[in-house]
Amino acid sequence: MATATGVYHTTYGRDFALRHTRAEYARLALLGAFAVVLPFTLDKYWLSYVNLILLAAVAAVGLMILTGYTGLISLATAGFLGVGAYTTANITTRLHWPMPVGVLCGTVLAAAIGAVFGLPALRVKGLYLAISTFAAQAILNNRFRDWPWLVQGHFSIGAKTPAIGHHVMRSDFEWYWLLLVITGFVVWGGVNLFRTGFGRALIAIRDQDIAAEVIGVEVGRYKVMAFSIACGLAGFAGALQAHYRNVVTWERYDFDTSFLFVAMIIVGGLGSVSGAVYGAAFMTWVPAYITRVGQGIQQGSSGTPFIIRELPAIQLGLFGVVIVAFLLFEPRGLARLWQRAKDYFRIWPFRY
Amino acid sequence: MNRYARKLAVVLSLALIVGVGCGKDNKNKSASKTNAPTKADIKVGAIFDLSGATADVGTPFSEGIRDYVEYKNSQGGVEGHKVALTFQDYGYKVPQAEQLYSQYVSQGAKVFMGWGTGDTEALRPKVNADMIPFMSASYAETLADPKVTPFNFFPGASYSQQMRIALQWISDQNKGKHIEVAVFHHDSAFGTSPLDDGKKYIADHKLNIGFKDYAMTAGATDFIAQIGQAKTQQAKYIIVQNVASPAAKLATNLASEKSTAQLMCLNWCADELFVKLAGPAAEKMIGVMPFAPPVEGTQGLDEINNFLKAKNTTAKDKGLHYVQGWYTMATMTQGIDNAIKANGDNPTGEQIKAGLEKISDFKTGVSDPISFSADYHAGLTSAPLYQVTGGAFKKISDPIKVTK
Amino acid sequence: MTRFLQLTVNGLANGAILSLAALGFVLIYKATEVINFAQGQFLVIGAFMVYNANVTWGLPWPLAVLVGIVAGILLGLAVERLILRRLVGESSLAVIMVTIGLASALFGIVLMTWGAEPKGPPKFVPSGTVRLFGDVAVAANRLWAVGVAVVVFVAVALFFQRSRHGVAMRAVADDQQAAMVQGISVNRIFAFAWALAGAAGCVGGLLLASINSNTGLELEGFAILVFPVVILGGLDSIMGTVVGGGIIGLLVEYTKSYWGINASQILPFVILVAILLVKPYGLFGQVRIERV
Repeated sequence: MATATGVYHTTYGRDFALRHTRAEYARLALLGAFAVVLPFTLDKYWLSYVNLILLAAVAAVGLMILTGYTGLISLATAGFLGVGAYTTANITTRLHWPMPVGVLCGTVLAAAIGAVFGLPALRVKGLYLAISTFAAQAILNNRFRDWPWLVQGHFSIGAKTPAIGHHVMRSDFEWYWLLLVITGFVVWGGVNLFRTGFGRALIAIRDQDIAAEVIGVEVGRYKVMAFSIACGLAGFAGALQAHYRNVVTWERYDFDTSFLFVAMIIVGGLGSVSGAVYGAAFMTWVPAYITRVGQGIQQGSSGTPFIIRELPAIQLGLFGVVIVAFLLFEPRGLARLWQRAKDYFRIWPFRY
Repeated sequence: MNRYARKLAVVLSLALIVGVGCGKDNKNKSASKTNAPTKADIKVGAIFDLSGATADVGTPFSEGIRDYVEYKNSQGGVEGHKVALTFQDYGYKVPQAEQLYSQYVSQGAKVFMGWGTGDTEALRPKVNADMIPFMSASYAETLADPKVTPFNFFPGASYSQQMRIALQWISDQNKGKHIEVAVFHHDSAFGTSPLDDGKKYIADHKLNIGFKDYAMTAGATDFIAQIGQAKTQQAKYIIVQNVASPAAKLATNLASEKSTAQLMCLNWCADELFVKLAGPAAEKMIGVMPFAPPVEGTQGLDEINNFLKAKNTTAKDKGLHYVQGWYTMATMTQGIDNAIKANGDNPTGEQIKAGLEKISDFKTGVSDPISFSADYHAGLTSAPLYQVTGGAFKKISDPIKVTK
Repeated sequence: MTRFLQLTVNGLANGAILSLAALGFVLIYKATEVINFAQGQFLVIGAFMVYNANVTWGLPWPLAVLVGIVAGILLGLAVERLILRRLVGESSLAVIMVTIGLASALFGIVLMTWGAEPKGPPKFVPSGTVRLFGDVAVAANRLWAVGVAVVVFVAVALFFQRSRHGVAMRAVADDQQAAMVQGISVNRIFAFAWALAGAAGCVGGLLLASINSNTGLELEGFAILVFPVVILGGLDSIMGTVVGGGIIGLLVEYTKSYWGINASQILPFVILVAILLVKPYGLFGQVRIERV
């Protein structure tokens, strides 16, 4: 996408750079300033939301790499969140190893299991693969629910709050900084991935995998690796989430959560890492917004009794309607909307 | 701009307007009732299951809680303070429960009315860190132990206690003969909660009972396989720890399999919903019911019936879980009342917790008197048994109390 | 031996119902290559509509079932016309997401219209037990369900073989462009497929409600088992649905009894993954040959 006229690069390095013009750098600086100022202006409740968005973004970026860039549909994200969470909970609570080790193990285990469930990608494509990941989700969710060893026979298993030295990280404020840095790295890594040969190979697999095979891309191996990366990132996010919430229960890792992540990357816009972040923000925010609207209707006692009584049904239905409406209006997602907005201002007062 | 973009702009601006409009409603607190006291409202947060897996019992329970708040406020509130109840359906989805909890607490909720085992468990660390007294509809025994969960309370007999009562009664009925018991349970933490304590009770009290448990898988169309296994076990009694709908299915299956085992239900499946769904198969079911079914003549229903007269209905129509919800909220407000009497107008979470622990001999009429203590956060330790006869519940034993 | 026979009969009965639930799924995929995640809701709405007609409006049961089927047809048509038609050409993932969103929206509508309180089973379905082969006890409503499923499948098979519309649907499934050249209106066929799926969903939901002893929101949970059935049988094969349903139904019953309840829950999905590795297009599915 051309960003401005009159920009000529004289070295390969400049050509590959992530930002090309001074305006773009300025925008990036603004974003950075915004991210730094944000936690000081929000109250605890909204800050916890931002933390949730950052956590979801990590897994969403992983899923975007798999689905948006490699074209492999995965409906099992929640299952791998769970793998990461249960692993780190067991390691930190039962073996008493430190949190970073637990999170690392969670990530690695999720990546390994992801590779296993990615094996069908060697044989099937498209919707068949989607159904296979659906099965993976069912199996994983069932194991979380019915495997007493995982939770030592209790309802759930705890995960310690992380501590840096002697200082225990308890508040959303402290978590924000940790998550901001982590998510920043993940997003940066994701964007950089597609400047490498490996990333371009993934895109080739999405576009025309048979042709990619013909020109020498090891399609099978790269597909499984893409699964590994996506599931590993999901495990990473799940492990962090476990320490954020301090308790791991199986209800969190069901189909609805998997669908939520798929909705994130579609609504965000398939094919761009920033789309994953936008999608994560939007899909975390929409249910909260619908809840607020519902409460607004409740408080304002002028609402008709029918609406108040049927509020849960309306909220559920509204969630589905929002997704459907969004996809009907702009199937290419928020990233595309943002792109159109940028183009509009860039080209103004011309029309195109 | 082209047509498409214009349409989009219209939709987005509408959304923005709606959002701002509703946001404003949120900031202005709801208009207070005419007899507005000058004291600050007591904020209570609540989550209900009105659309999820346990919505069939969650909906009447929620109505009981909401109606009690309305009733209490019409009587002047708690020591002059109105109760401001903010609630929402969370569809038995844990992330939703967490979000609502954070929201209500950040908006100033002093206490929280929870619902199921899943969300109560997930919120446990936060509840303890935030020091918010949490009253759940989950009666899992671990929640009654203040050493593990200092801020969790529930006003009923724990599932484990109900199990012990059932086992003791079975043992007494059979005068020490060897009896096989099959326990069918919901396939979750809620279902498995009383199992280990039941086994321990049998061992500790040397009851001559063989105990085997069977999971009632979610989404199953029938439980024939499990019934077959129970038949192999030669179980004479089948105890069910589940909600009404699956228990009714089980009862229907038992009838069609011509099983001779005696069906016993713990509190969440011994209700009028079970009777309605199972139809003729519900006959002879024995229920361990810490809260009495709201049939005519039960004490403790006058208050409720007077209140419901204005809504043209009765406690009997609303059902057992409505009454349960009513008295759950009543117990919580009693605890707040104690705290205000002891500590003045703005009690903290810690003080309300102490106020709840001070409750002893709180009479409801539909159950034994509710008592909490600093060592035990379950309101009841005894429950009577009822049996379904001719489609209605008839008491067959006085409240049975067992020691652990 | 008796136990084995009992399990076999139960398994086949469950399988027949699973196949019927999966039928709508396969119909839509065969004609339009769309995976309809909202099929579970079609089942629920169908069952509730029959309940509504029978109990709330007091119609006699044949009429109530007809009302339910008509409602299913209308629902399918509405979904196809209003939503799916706008998404022609979009990525399959977007379409999947729309059906998921639709499932959520439909769930809200069901909740709003009929509430969360479960209604009992359809009263017009025979209850009680029937004894076969001497000792094997089968619930009468199960036999009834199998009977209905058989009738429906035979009707569908005849439809596809003999009637003009059925042949047209097969043509569209084979090659859309060639079908258009022959003068077949592809749009009409898509609408047809969705309508049929809606109707099949209604009947499937009704059968499920009868053996479930309950018309309630949990019916849609049963729809998850549809996936192993269609993968085993082949996503675009009706015969495959029947065979797949039978096999999965039998295997689940056997595992439940001889192995354990937990294993029986995972087994269908493990089979699914295994089939995808070994024979990806299922037993009867059409092998797709891709060209660059």
